[in-house]
Amino acid sequence: MYPFLEALVAALILIGAFFLLVGALGLARLPDMMRRLHGPTKATTLGIGALLIASMVYFAAVRGSFSIHELLITLFLFLTAPVSAHMLAKAHILRARAERDRLPATGTATGWATLDSGHPKGE
Amino acid sequence: MTLLFVILIPLLGALIPPLVIRSGRNACAAATGSVTLLALALLMSHAPAVFSGEVPKAGVEWVPALGLSLSVFADGLGFFFAAMILAIGLLVIVYARFYLSREEPMGRFFAYLLLFQGAMVGVVLSDNIIALLVFWELTSLTSFLLIGFWTKRADARQGARMALVVTGGGGLALIAGLLLVAQAAGSYQLTEILVRGEMVRASPLYLPALLLVLVGAFTKSAQFPFHFWLPHAMAAPTPVSAYLHSATMVKAGVFLLARLWPVLAGTDPWFLIVAPVGLATMLLGAVIALFKDDLKAVLAYSTVSHLGLMTMLLGFGTPMAAVAAVFHIINHATFKAALFMVTGTLALLASASMAGVPLFNGFLSKEMMLEEAAHTAYLGLDFLFPVLASVAAVFSVAYSARFAIGTFLGPVRHDYPHHPHDPPLGLWLPVAVLVVPVIAIGLFPAAVAGPLVALTASAVIGGPLPDYHLALWHGLTPALFMSLLAFAGGAALILAFRRVDGVRARLPPLDAKAMFEAASGGLVVACRRIVAALHDGALSRYMGVTVATLVAVGGYGFWSATHAAGARPLLPVTAPALTAFLALVLASGAVLLFHGERLTALILTGVVGVVVALAFLQFSAPDLALTQISVDVVTTILMLLALNLLPKTTPREGSRAVRWRDGAIAGLAGLGAAGLAYAVMTRNGTSISDFYLAQSKPGGGGTNVVNVILVDFRGYDTFAEIIVLGIAALAIYALLDPALKGAAVRRIKAMLPRDEAKDAHPLILVVATRVLLPLSLVVGAYIFLRGHNAPGGGFIAGLVVAIALIMQYIASGYGWAAERMKLDAQSLIGAGVAIAGLTGLAAFAFGRPFLTSTFGYLHWPLVGEFELASAMAFDLGVFLTVVGVMVLSLAQLSRVAHRVDPSPESRAPMDVPLEGAASGAAGKED
Amino acid sequence: MIAAAIAIAGGAICLAIALTLYRLAVGPDATDRVLALDTLVIETIALIVLGGIAYGTAMYFEAALLFAMVGFVTTVAFCKFLLRGNVIE
Repeated sequence: MYPFLEALVAALILIGAFFLLVGALGLARLPDMMRRLHGPTKATTLGIGALLIASMVYFAAVRGSFSIHELLITLFLFLTAPVSAHMLAKAHILRARAERDRLPATGTATGWATLDSGHPKGE
Repeated sequence: MTLLFVILIPLLGALIPPLVIRSGRNACAAATGSVTLLALALLMSHAPAVFSGEVPKAGVEWVPALGLSLSVFADGLGFFFAAMILAIGLLVIVYARFYLSREEPMGRFFAYLLLFQGAMVGVVLSDNIIALLVFWELTSLTSFLLIGFWTKRADARQGARMALVVTGGGGLALIAGLLLVAQAAGSYQLTEILVRGEMVRASPLYLPALLLVLVGAFTKSAQFPFHFWLPHAMAAPTPVSAYLHSATMVKAGVFLLARLWPVLAGTDPWFLIVAPVGLATMLLGAVIALFKDDLKAVLAYSTVSHLGLMTMLLGFGTPMAAVAAVFHIINHATFKAALFMVTGTLALLASASMAGVPLFNGFLSKEMMLEEAAHTAYLGLDFLFPVLASVAAVFSVAYSARFAIGTFLGPVRHDYPHHPHDPPLGLWLPVAVLVVPVIAIGLFPAAVAGPLVALTASAVIGGPLPDYHLALWHGLTPALFMSLLAFAGGAALILAFRRVDGVRARLPPLDAKAMFEAASGGLVVACRRIVAALHDGALSRYMGVTVATLVAVGGYGFWSATHAAGARPLLPVTAPALTAFLALVLASGAVLLFHGERLTALILTGVVGVVVALAFLQFSAPDLALTQISVDVVTTILMLLALNLLPKTTPREGSRAVRWRDGAIAGLAGLGAAGLAYAVMTRNGTSISDFYLAQSKPGGGGTNVVNVILVDFRGYDTFAEIIVLGIAALAIYALLDPALKGAAVRRIKAMLPRDEAKDAHPLILVVATRVLLPLSLVVGAYIFLRGHNAPGGGFIAGLVVAIALIMQYIASGYGWAAERMKLDAQSLIGAGVAIAGLTGLAAFAFGRPFLTSTFGYLHWPLVGEFELASAMAFDLGVFLTVVGVMVLSLAQLSRVAHRVDPSPESRAPMDVPLEGAASGAAGKED
Repeated sequence: MIAAAIAIAGGAICLAIALTLYRLAVGPDATDRVLALDTLVIETIALIVLGGIAYGTAMYFEAALLFAMVGFVTTVAFCKFLLRGNVIE
């Protein structure tokens, strides 16, 4: 195995672990839900991405075989992470009354989807 | 073998009448009659052999090791009864053709009748006692259908139910009794048991066996104190009554007493129980019959009385009395059947026979009965039986006379709703056929009935026949004087009937039906109380009892064994293992703290699921891990769906003491399970896994042992399991369908959150899941295909695909997703079970047992070496079933919630109208 | 070099899991707990991938794949429940 690849894998693993830790730290330490949401959705996703690339490189170099598993996992995670975050944010907006009051106006006739059906009242 | 067909032809022939009824009522009756006639002809083909003393046998073995077989034999008794059942059955069919009105479902009637006939013939011809018991219960069930044939009439339903409860209940006692007899005799074959009478009577099981058998026989034959059901069974159509009361059903009990006479009779307990019960029944039936004004009721109680007579004779235990009993069975069958189908002068003759008038057959057997009663002493009381038997005879004469006078000789009435007319040929011909033997036997007993009585009686006695003469004139015997006395007394009773009836009217009335209803009602209430006390609906209680039992049994096992430490070294503790362990402990502990908030508890169990899956991975069980991961999410969705319909917090548990008690039980069980797991894991044991590991590739053609076990080694289990799974899903579907109407809906509506998001299907989620669907399906297909050799397989793939589909339901709503599911879940389940079953059956084509698997290797271009196993088709069945089950049950649960709170279906991808499209979409929906 | 990186990374991920569990225990709202569960699943995937590199086997990747798919469905189902009360409608 080339030392360069080895170093690359090791670096990617460490980067991945670092961002995972950062994400978890954010989740644990940040003061409110909207801010906490940033940690897992951004840092953690980045971290797991780095780890998956490390795994891909490692298996390509060691086994000489390219595996699509990591690619699939990456695809899944990168596609789903924003949606999960979006849904969680919606749930939080609905449940936290203080959050609702802080929402800016949408600037259109229709309000925020979570709170306003967009249909005239009484339908 | 033809003997077996005597039973099977009526049973299978029961399919014919409902089909033939389309061709008309005559065709239907003719078809039914020819079924019976065919059975009778087959039986009669054995007549020469039977009369020459042989005993024809036939049978098929089922489980010889357990003594189970369908075997029949026709000795004199069985042959006689079978002939009587079929012959009178034939007459009843003719009569019923003309009796039933055009509106009544004749096909159904004849189907029931043939089923009943087959069951009766089965009872009298069975050699194996298990088969006999099955047929016995079958007669109870089919007679229930016949008695309750007029389902619109309350008395018919009640009478049928009463008959079923009494005779079916007696049947249960009979099962126990006959099994004890078989135990004592060491055989399940009646032919064997009959020659081992000494052995049975000497056995300590004799008395309990006797008592149980007698309960069975007495209930069936309406003996005191079980006589009350029979008159209420009169709510049946008349042909049924004629059949049930003359030749079948109630005779089954007498038949059984006669059948087992060589085995059970001749002892003190037999005489002390059977004879007085018969006497009491005879007397009671005769007395009640006199005071009944309804024709059918008179006949019903007279049947009770005559059954008592036969029972009493069999109870005497002497060969002579047994001969008399057999003779009376023949005579009673003829005159009673005729009386039920009563028409004109012919019935006069029959009632004369019932009264025991000389020159009719009833006289002869009654004479013999009185003769036997005359010299029977009961517990040192010389006069008890003679006197009471004479009294019964007096009443018997009286009610017969009243029946005849009241019906046919009384004043002519003109207030009928319809003008009476002469009945058609079909109604009086069967009666005429029956009256012929009534007179023929009465005049020439020895010539007409002699051989039959000898044949049957010798089969009952099982030894040499006593010296007897069937004759009109026996000289000046005590029986003759008793007979004369009976006639004189009967005449006196009739003359003084008004006065006697006045006395009876002043006595407190005893209504057996009301007593039965009260008793059964009380029983139901008592059962409800017991059940309600044991099952109070508290899950914690059931869990507590179950777990406490487990702790007790496990504790006993632990203390009664050795406790050496395991020899296997422990694994080192790594950081991930420790973290996972801590996560597990913390999450489990937190569930305990937060279990009041159901949603929080559910989130915490999600953590437990993740850790368990990790543990499976750590200990080289990737299949289990995959299953655990996918089952976990399905469970979560299921719980969330259910939680929507439930209160969000648990109610307060019981007192502190109760909670401590429950906690102690749960803690002990948990410690026990942990200790057990520890003990197993620290030991090196051999298990069946080694065999599976070694045989997986050579035997099943796959390297994934788990999958090979599922689809091959234990394919039977899997097959049964997917069937159960399918049934469970269909049950969920059926149970939930009507579950939420009325009060339940209102209750759930009150629990729904008031504050909810306005968009049911957020746009981003909808789009993302649609992109994910093909990806997930690819994952499912991949896991399915590699299953035989690498972790995966039909079950996990089914779960994955089901999750992918449910994801669409969650994101886009039930309406949208269901509309696009081209295959409904029920068809998926059906197809899955069918494919798995057919794969199993395919093995038969190669002469191999069910579910034998085979495999081969194909070379596919581009893909390379590819293995094709028949197990894969089986796995496909599993896959389809799992997908269908998951989608069906979850979707149905969601539909329930949907019905509670219907939200408007939207066609657009998003509920909140987008800019520009808003006005258009809103306009369209209006 | 890789082995050392794996050891350090393993420790870091374990620490991350511990922090996530803390959030899960503290809450305060259900949304926080769901977020923590979602994060926990991703960290588990990381652990599995790391284990795959450490043991040099691709055996566990299906589990990671399934976790990725299933973790999303779980989170969405919980959110749907919090938002609408009904998961499938």
